[in-house]
Amino acid sequence: MSQTLRISTAGVRGIVGPGLEGKHALEFAAAFSVFLPQEGPVLLARDPRASSDMLREGVIASLLASGRDAVDLGLVSTPVLQHAIRERAAAGGISIGASHNAAPWNALKFFGSNGTYLNSGEAAEFLDIYHLRRFRFVGWEEVGKLSFATDAVEHYLAALEAVFDIGKLRGVRLVADCSSGLSSILLNRLREKHGLNLTLLNASLENKHFSHEPNTTARNVNLMLGPVVEALGADLGVLFDMDSDRIAVCGRDGKAVSEELVLPLLADYQLARLPGRLVITNLSTTALLEDIAAQYGGEVVRVPVGRQHAMDALAIYAADRIAIAGEGTGAVMLPEFRFVYDGMASLLALMSLMVERGKTLGELVAAWPAYDMRKHEVPLDAKRIPLLMMRLEERYHDFARDTRDGLRVTLPYGWFHVRVSNTEPVVRIIVETRGNGAEELARELLSEVAAYA
Amino acid sequence: MREHLLKIGVSGIRGVVGEFLTPLLAADFAQAFGTYVGHGRVVVGRDTRFTGPMIEHAVACGLLAAGCEVVRLGVQPTPTIQIYIAETGAAGGLGITASHNPPEYNALKLFNHEGLFFNHYERSELLDLFHQSDFYQARNEEIAGCREDEASPRERHVRKILPHVDVERIRARRFRVALDGVNGAGSRMSVWFLTEILGCELHAIHVDPTLPFPREAEPKPETLGELTALAKRENCDIGFGQDPDGDRLAVCDGAGEMLDNDDVLALAIEAALARAPGDVAVNLTTSNVVEDVAARYNRRVYRAAVGEANVVERMRSVQALIGGEGSSGGIIFRGVHHCRDSYTGMALILDRMAATGKTLRELAEGLPHYARRSGKTSFVHGRLGGLMLAMEKRYPEAKLDRTDGLKLIFEDAWIHLRASNTEPILRVAVEAREDARAEDLFGDAMALLKS
Repeated sequence: MSQTLRISTAGVRGIVGPGLEGKHALEFAAAFSVFLPQEGPVLLARDPRASSDMLREGVIASLLASGRDAVDLGLVSTPVLQHAIRERAAAGGISIGASHNAAPWNALKFFGSNGTYLNSGEAAEFLDIYHLRRFRFVGWEEVGKLSFATDAVEHYLAALEAVFDIGKLRGVRLVADCSSGLSSILLNRLREKHGLNLTLLNASLENKHFSHEPNTTARNVNLMLGPVVEALGADLGVLFDMDSDRIAVCGRDGKAVSEELVLPLLADYQLARLPGRLVITNLSTTALLEDIAAQYGGEVVRVPVGRQHAMDALAIYAADRIAIAGEGTGAVMLPEFRFVYDGMASLLALMSLMVERGKTLGELVAAWPAYDMRKHEVPLDAKRIPLLMMRLEERYHDFARDTRDGLRVTLPYGWFHVRVSNTEPVVRIIVETRGNGAEELARELLSEVAAYA
Repeated sequence: MREHLLKIGVSGIRGVVGEFLTPLLAADFAQAFGTYVGHGRVVVGRDTRFTGPMIEHAVACGLLAAGCEVVRLGVQPTPTIQIYIAETGAAGGLGITASHNPPEYNALKLFNHEGLFFNHYERSELLDLFHQSDFYQARNEEIAGCREDEASPRERHVRKILPHVDVERIRARRFRVALDGVNGAGSRMSVWFLTEILGCELHAIHVDPTLPFPREAEPKPETLGELTALAKRENCDIGFGQDPDGDRLAVCDGAGEMLDNDDVLALAIEAALARAPGDVAVNLTTSNVVEDVAARYNRRVYRAAVGEANVVERMRSVQALIGGEGSSGGIIFRGVHHCRDSYTGMALILDRMAATGKTLRELAEGLPHYARRSGKTSFVHGRLGGLMLAMEKRYPEAKLDRTDGLKLIFEDAWIHLRASNTEPILRVAVEAREDARAEDLFGDAMALLKS
């Protein structure tokens, strides 16, 4: 069965048409209105996909019918929306857009009054309202009103300027690939305001045909961004996904730095300023984080993969104990931005690191111990997963195991993690070793998994 | 009687917004509509109800999801929307308006590619699609997007009307006109039309589309007290009352006396026939006064079942020049568009006054007098046939017309009985040459029906 619709604590995501329909926008927005504990408007952002216009209409209709005012921020990225929710003391926000997915996809993401993703408890309650269809549509006199706000980007930029000394970053020759998405709006303004030395690629918003899949993968970095960086002799290349919540990067050589290294780079920047604090990440990210944390007397807290687990962990620890949170996908949250996955803040932090240390990206990365990582995915047969996990546990029972999210095994020379994806019907296998050897371990695991898939 | 808070049927979808008419229903219905008209360009307009924007967003969602391009006209009268559809070659259109229903209601009016109301077959096919949830689900690359056009619709509408009246002659008279726009979709357009286009001296009330309806939405003598007082106070030549979506027209004279809607239709017919030859089609409940007017020009009157779509279908089949529904204040003029249009009505009547130099009262007095009575009574489902049969037996001398309910036609009078499409009530209309005869027949019929 091809699964083209996914409803989870992360929201709803699917291929528009055969999976995600207009009715999902209407029903989720109606449920969200009931779920939100406080009065007040709901803010909306969307990406440039054609289907985002369709979903937006449905979301607005249900918000108004539920007695909520809606404030449309227009074509702005998710971090801009999250910032606006807090600044305008809104009841919540809905982001319409499928960030790193290809053009046929779309998604709705939901944010509470603090501008963050819902934690597990909140998301469960929200989904209960959706599934039980506990919608509450008001009488004609109480129907909400739609208004528009055009200043969200400027307010967001002001927040970035309060944290980063952007004028100091002019010396970095930067090339940015915007993936036909929303980062171009922010980057153009930053260049205007601060004179950044910036070349933009794929900077026009596209609704149907993206320049490339808007995913922050090494493949996409090497496709266009890398060669341009090399040809221009730039210092840094950055690739944004469609809604600019995550990044991938390359240095002068134009070769993609593993997306796994974005979080360690920024952890280095943050821990140097905030030593002894925690790094929150998931079970699938590089062990390099432990090395870096140790250097600054910090500690790594690992949680199951998925945004809601990171949100739950953030809810447990006081904000002033945390240096950084993020995943190996290039999605990173900084406490200065109240834990919002924010590609633009990530970029500015990385540039600040390069300027402050006076080092190139290549030099920063080269200073670290070398790890070898492999990621694979195998199509899922859900019924056979438990058998597979039992078999793997049996086989590696001599080693330290973590079973909170599939199986993560720590080996003397590295680790591996086998788990079921939250967003796609696949089993993911992640293997990392110090030095070489990842290839061999990955092959071994793949043959085990293939027997059960 | 049960309250009908939601009705999904051959007339589309209508209901009390909130608990009954939800955005989910509106979006589904629009998606069924978009699927039915084949993913083309669909025009959407609305009246001034508070719930209009909400329903419009739901409708846009459903239409976009069906792969339609959406052209949003904003707040526009229903005839203006219909004309726009025909003029721009759209695949169809939706009017978000509950017409004369109270403000807690809203509804979708369905128009085909000619800008005409869906006929019976179109409506039932659409309804089947809706009930089967058999909607087209467009993929991202098939989603067309929305366009807005709020300025050109009224221009297109007025351009259709002007060739059929003598504008300079009307302007030269500088008529003093009173207007009650019920803060409806036509409010602003009416002010512009009467002053800028027809050069009238306008005394207008309730022409702010941002405010709620100030009175019961149906334009009838009981609800137009403010208009008649205004017309009298300002010594106007004529007063016009509109409904929220600008299709119906009620008229009063300078003394503040309301004209019967049947007489208004008769005057419009006279105005049209005086300029160009043509036949007439009206519904069964419309007064015989239209027959008398048509006879002055040796033209025929055709009768149709009640309902705009039925009258329009009849007009088209007999190629009638003008028609309408007397009782509801609907004037339909082929030269403009096959739709009820208060603007065409205003223009024709002012043109007639300008052409003849007569006051409205003089024109009305030139029409033969008929006495009219109407009422309604509830009935128990299943007993309707028995009631009709009893009426037939009671009046063996009458000729019978069963086109729509039962019409009993006498030498000097008629009785028309028909069940409402929307509620279990029986509507009774009586007309006679003499007041006493109308009174007798009406009292007699009602007594029989209630027994």
